[in-house]
Amino acid sequence: MGELVKGRVESSLPGLRGIVADDKDQEHALVTREGPTKGDAEIDQLYAEAEDKRLSKTSLLLDVLNISNVLTDGVSAMVDDSFNKCFTSTRPEPWNWNIYLFPIWVVGVVIRYLVLFPIRVTLLFIGFNTLIVVFLLVDLTLMPSKRKMAMQRKLVQWMCSAWVAAWHGVIRYHGPKPTPGKNRIWVSNHTSMIDYVVLCSYSPFAVIMQLHHGWIAFLQKRILSSLGCLWFNRTEVNDRAVVAARMKDHVNKEDAIPLLIFPEGTCVNNEYTVMFKRGAFDIGATVCPVAIKYNKIFVDAFWNSRREAFGKHLFRLMTSWALVCDVYFLEPQSIQPEESPQEFAGRVQAMIAKYANLRIVPWDGYLKYYNLGEKNPGLIEKRRRVLADVLRAYLGKTSAAPSAIALEKEGKAAVELQSDGKGQKGEVEGVALQGWRKLCVGGTVHPV
Amino acid sequence: MGQAASGGLTQGDVDEVIAASKGVFNQAEIESLYKRFRALDRGHKGYISPEEFLSIPELSINPVAQRLVRCCECPNFTTFVKMVAPFSPRASREDKLVFMFTVYDVDGDGFISREDMSMMLKQLAGSSLSEEDRQDIISRVLEQAGGAERLDFAAFKSALSSADLGNMVVEVPVDL
Repeated sequence: MGELVKGRVESSLPGLRGIVADDKDQEHALVTREGPTKGDAEIDQLYAEAEDKRLSKTSLLLDVLNISNVLTDGVSAMVDDSFNKCFTSTRPEPWNWNIYLFPIWVVGVVIRYLVLFPIRVTLLFIGFNTLIVVFLLVDLTLMPSKRKMAMQRKLVQWMCSAWVAAWHGVIRYHGPKPTPGKNRIWVSNHTSMIDYVVLCSYSPFAVIMQLHHGWIAFLQKRILSSLGCLWFNRTEVNDRAVVAARMKDHVNKEDAIPLLIFPEGTCVNNEYTVMFKRGAFDIGATVCPVAIKYNKIFVDAFWNSRREAFGKHLFRLMTSWALVCDVYFLEPQSIQPEESPQEFAGRVQAMIAKYANLRIVPWDGYLKYYNLGEKNPGLIEKRRRVLADVLRAYLGKTSAAPSAIALEKEGKAAVELQSDGKGQKGEVEGVALQGWRKLCVGGTVHPV
Repeated sequence: MGQAASGGLTQGDVDEVIAASKGVFNQAEIESLYKRFRALDRGHKGYISPEEFLSIPELSINPVAQRLVRCCECPNFTTFVKMVAPFSPRASREDKLVFMFTVYDVDGDGFISREDMSMMLKQLAGSSLSEEDRQDIISRVLEQAGGAERLDFAAFKSALSSADLGNMVVEVPVDL
């Protein structure tokens, strides 16, 4: 695609093609936003101003009938959008297409699948199971003590090393090795669950993770809990406060294991980075950024959880030649006096994006799981209001500033409008109402 | 669509789609659109459902998202390409106007009636424009566009004769 500029903010407002934010300083604001919300006037104002620019205000006919701009925005988004770009894996160039290379490739496949893979699986099986057994023994027999914890940490580190060896990981670590310190928290970009393994095989970390199912859950609960890992369920978290409190607890403990957070909240394809949530930046700790960059030369380490199961992902890793990766431990950052946590998050994200060569996209990763227009009808309403004001001007009326109640009514009306359409009842309407109901009940669809 | 090395499209399919969209896309663009179609069509059903469209954040914050999505009604790939066709840089002004008219004509009867305009204005200007104001605006528009009770395509076209539709272009990203 020829996008040579990496680590730079998309200069046009998402969803509005061809409109560039006038003020380059506003770009920083785009990076640090949690996605357009009703409360924050800033980005909504940008959209409103952009809409305003596009209206003629002189010809009523044109302003009403010329919907080309808004249609272009819509179809543009259908054809390509910056959010989905973050979750697509680029197909590797096939190199085995001629008569000389093809047999070599076939030999390679045979070796990888029939020789390397069985060897790796066997060694992993032996190594990992031994370590698990030893771990459980230690867990059950020794009394909780510093030595026990130290042993458990060492064992987890070896387990992770076993996994890394199974993928033939060629990992270079740059920067000073993390050591436990008071009031420190580590953040990293997220590509796959193996990020944690890659880091842990070098230096043990505790982590806040999504609780999964199956055998992973067993590993998580039994073994990783010993490191002080915290679990949560991303779709049900109204305990944003609870998680924040536990994070604070953890970092304030003496010689706590370094706590690792993935502020993106979801796996991204290692070419882009989505919005960093501000939870980890809000607890008053020093943030130590870690940037992880996978080299796609032998295998693409991005775990697209929508398209492949974790097992298949592991299988793919174990049947490739090697997993090449660079890990950068960057300089610890503290929040500056005039910075808000979200801006702090944005600043750290920019650092990580620079080292890991990622483009920053201002979307919230959780948009994978919910519909933005539904959750934030405020933004659409604001854009609509721009046209409404212009139209009212034709009638000779000025618009009054809407009161808070009117705004809320508008929000509710907007949701009803969303499900209005052509009057077709259906799943879309149901989903829209459900989303709104969830919000009304007070459950946040938008956790840490 | 038949199976092929190029991600599931055969030459016959491509030719068919190019014909259906009046030749505004070249083969590379069609392939790229197909990749996009497959990415959006999560269950590989052969069409894109409204929810899948609305899961695109940039589309879901568009004021007329619902109308756009309903307009094409679970498109298969050919319909999808036909929908994007008016936005190709090679599309004629006529095609663009036809598309805009189709979107505006909510009930699909070939005329933009008061009801059509009312529905569209609700989506475009929202609920902050009162019903009374909306009807007022509609009356004025109909008056200025020739005085008829509803607009046919010719009236719509002449009303927009001074409109610059040069920005109504979407670039299809092509992997070179």
